[in-house]
Amino acid sequence: MAQAKNTAEALRPEDFVILRERSAPSDLLVREPVGYWKDAWRRLRRNKVAMTSLVVLGLFLIMIIIGPYLRGYDYITAAPQYKNADMSAQFWLGADALGRDLFSRLWVGTRVSFVIAIVCTAVQVVVGCLYGSVMAYFGGIVDEIMMRILEVITAIPSLLITILIMIALGNSAFSLLVALCIASWCPTARVVRGQIMQLRESEYVMAAEAMGERPMRIILRHLLPNIMGILILDVATSIPGYIFQEAGLSFIGLGLQTPAISLGLLISNGQAVMNSHVNQLIFPAAVLCIMVLAFNLLGDGLRNALDPKFRK
Amino acid sequence: MIKFVLRRFLELLLALFLIATATFFLTAAAPGDPLLSRTLALPEASRDAMYAKYGLDKPVLERYVITMKGMLHGDFGESVVYQGQTLQTILRDKLPVSARLGLQQLIFGVLVGLLLGVIAAVKRETWIDRCIVVFAVLMMSVPELVLGLIFQKYFAGTLKLLPVIGWPTGKDLWFGGWKYTILPTLSGGLLYIATYSRLLKTSILDVLDQDYILTARSKGLSEPRIVWSHIMRNSMIPIVTRLPVTLAMCLTGSFMIEKIFAIPGIAAYFVEAVSANDLSIVLGETVFLAALFITVIFLTDILYTIVDPRIRIQGGKR
Amino acid sequence: MDNLLEIKGLRVSYHTYQGEVQSVRGVDLEIGQEESVALVGESGCGKSVTGKSILRLIQAPGEILPGSQITFDGRDVLSLSKKELRAYRGGQASIIFQDALAALNPTMTVGRQIMENLLYHRKIGKREARAEAIRLLGEVGIPNPEKRVDQYPHEFSGGMRQRVMIAIAFACQPQLLIADEPTTALDVTIQAQIIKLLKQLQRENHTSILMITHDLGVVASIAQRIFVMYSGVIVERGSSDDIFYRPRHPYTRALLQAVPRMDQEGKQELNSIEGTPPDLIAPPEGCPFASRCKYAMPVCARLAPEVTDFGGGHRCACWLYHEMAPRVAELNDPDAAPAGEEVGQ
Repeated sequence: MAQAKNTAEALRPEDFVILRERSAPSDLLVREPVGYWKDAWRRLRRNKVAMTSLVVLGLFLIMIIIGPYLRGYDYITAAPQYKNADMSAQFWLGADALGRDLFSRLWVGTRVSFVIAIVCTAVQVVVGCLYGSVMAYFGGIVDEIMMRILEVITAIPSLLITILIMIALGNSAFSLLVALCIASWCPTARVVRGQIMQLRESEYVMAAEAMGERPMRIILRHLLPNIMGILILDVATSIPGYIFQEAGLSFIGLGLQTPAISLGLLISNGQAVMNSHVNQLIFPAAVLCIMVLAFNLLGDGLRNALDPKFRK
Repeated sequence: MIKFVLRRFLELLLALFLIATATFFLTAAAPGDPLLSRTLALPEASRDAMYAKYGLDKPVLERYVITMKGMLHGDFGESVVYQGQTLQTILRDKLPVSARLGLQQLIFGVLVGLLLGVIAAVKRETWIDRCIVVFAVLMMSVPELVLGLIFQKYFAGTLKLLPVIGWPTGKDLWFGGWKYTILPTLSGGLLYIATYSRLLKTSILDVLDQDYILTARSKGLSEPRIVWSHIMRNSMIPIVTRLPVTLAMCLTGSFMIEKIFAIPGIAAYFVEAVSANDLSIVLGETVFLAALFITVIFLTDILYTIVDPRIRIQGGKR
Repeated sequence: MDNLLEIKGLRVSYHTYQGEVQSVRGVDLEIGQEESVALVGESGCGKSVTGKSILRLIQAPGEILPGSQITFDGRDVLSLSKKELRAYRGGQASIIFQDALAALNPTMTVGRQIMENLLYHRKIGKREARAEAIRLLGEVGIPNPEKRVDQYPHEFSGGMRQRVMIAIAFACQPQLLIADEPTTALDVTIQAQIIKLLKQLQRENHTSILMITHDLGVVASIAQRIFVMYSGVIVERGSSDDIFYRPRHPYTRALLQAVPRMDQEGKQELNSIEGTPPDLIAPPEGCPFASRCKYAMPVCARLAPEVTDFGGGHRCACWLYHEMAPRVAELNDPDAAPAGEEVGQ
């Protein structure tokens, strides 16, 4: 029982009048409900690690835009007189085996790797969403066949597919894009399908259907906003994977090839001289690791922010 | 159950057929002539004989039929680049090397990873947990490529503690020459530590939230008993079902590690074959690796039904 | 006779990142030997937390605050040693939950889950324990127990699963059973069967039951005394008759009007209670129900209500029974017109 230790004189007769018009005391007592996105954003902002990662990624973004031009060097033409120059005021990070400024080349390489990762992620999300939505929406035999196709693709180790595509199409940025994307959308499609299967049972989608809206319109208008959280997470966690894959393929000689510039190629060049000029290996490797680390930490932060399970 | 297994098995065969077909046409479409360098200096007649020997004089479709027929009998054709070598001889030489590397990475990585995962879950929200989490994220963010190079440079190059490159062969193939294997094992194994420690920690925390743990406590069971038969058993499900795929990945070798440490495994050879346009070997290795992978996934599906009784098999569909 | 269980000043808080959620804010409750007591309230009012506290099942970030007292059979539950606590849990007191599927380990056969209890508390062999598990399954009305004992929880229907839970709970003939919404997830017909089963097992085992529910309909057939809980505090307590026929607290009355009744004339509308319960991070200083109460007075928002004793253990915490308060006819005379009509002065 709630205990009340009141002194009698605290009670006045006017306290004991029933107020039939209850004007909003209840609203004052209840906290303002917070929307899902607002709440998620608030939680993300409180996460110092995730916000730091966001800032770091912002800085990287600025650098891949302006970085190559800061020093004003020609980063393509060989300049034998500066061959393997050490770090100095002239070449902040040194010069490579052909005498080109590593600082400028580093940001060009980062730009290439980053753009490849972004484009691949975009393709993955768009194709995955479309494929998954179509599967889930039409169901039945369509779903069955599309699912089998998906299963066959996922059954092959993705690195093998990538390498085979690279053989068939030759070494170029375009074939690398195709090779990286060709199987990556499968998990996204599965997740999207699963989510939509769940959502399409909900009343508001049935209501929309009953009111005669077209299938694809319903999918796009009603269902996709619901899986935004999952997709945002998918994007944040996919990008590091692509950055890794580009670097690895270029390193073993099956990705981009010189004269192209990318993080993988810079690391590969760095390896050749790593015993005498370690700076040529360390800096590209560090940029790669920091970028991936920032994406991973941001991904963790997003997972915590977007998952209602953590909402306590 | 039998229906399910049978159906999955047929799907497996279909997938393999599709993969072989796709691989054949992709390699056939590849630019470049594998015999060009070897036949350049030969007279016209012997050059034609060479092309005829590998069947490269025939149209693509005919070669496809011949190749597929051969495949049914396990004959993938002779290596174009290395005379007298076939897929079988190459696998016999190279697979054990990759398998040892993979198994060492797996055993080291998974065991340490699981241990760290349990520790992180038990000591959650303490500095120990935070250290493990930070370590795992760091390890996930440093590609094995960079890790391998750094290890090679410092532990082998600068400190001269371990050999820079190489791999035990001959009688040391399985149980010797450990010092050669340390760096490659570490470089690849750290990623497994990161993956498995995170996986197990999440899984344990997930299980701890379940009502049945409350039920177990309400029965007055001892803590070790709760941990063992209620928490661990359930939180190991995602681990057990993931292991086979990791195993398959390990066995098929690690492209970067083999390249960095000059390890004569199948992954390194695959890259070599690809670069040299060695069609029959590329085709054979792809089909072999895919078959291994698919079989493992197939076995995982069956394993799933054993470790998790909730997954019922009805009419062949999960 | 001494009470089997006595709770005094129980306070439980959950430490979350938004602040301290005061789930239970000073609850007094007692249960006699072989008595059935119901704890009734809306979801989130702290009734489940109270139930779990009795078995000390509150886990971090939750905490039973110091100053709380729980006495079971003359012993202080909150200061039991690890070993004593284990003997108490499952041996002398047990609990069943609302969602039996979630409360049963999915990867263990139901037989083993029952046997776990027996093996630890009754010190019997495996073979015996298995036979006993089969007997228990039969007793709770599961057909074919010899076969079912080796099945997994997902192979049972909802009602059958709850029966398994009951078998686990009664395995060691506990003196107290806490039933936390045992029938909420079930169909109405199955609900009745489960209640009947609980009553039968209670008689056979001489068990006291604390029934936690939001459904007054379930309570009517089983409870001798009822505690009505709102927002972490008990607002009214009394015998079953007191609560059903002479409810004093406006909240109790509103709850009763929200229950569909067979004897209602014509098509009287079901009343729901408007508004939401207060935020337990910053609970109101006065009566927690004031913001939703039809009869709220200025004093209600300012000061916690005094407890008025109506005799026979019927007590209610409400300012309306203060000598200075106006008398509300329908709260004092159960046969008066339904609330919302005229208020006497």
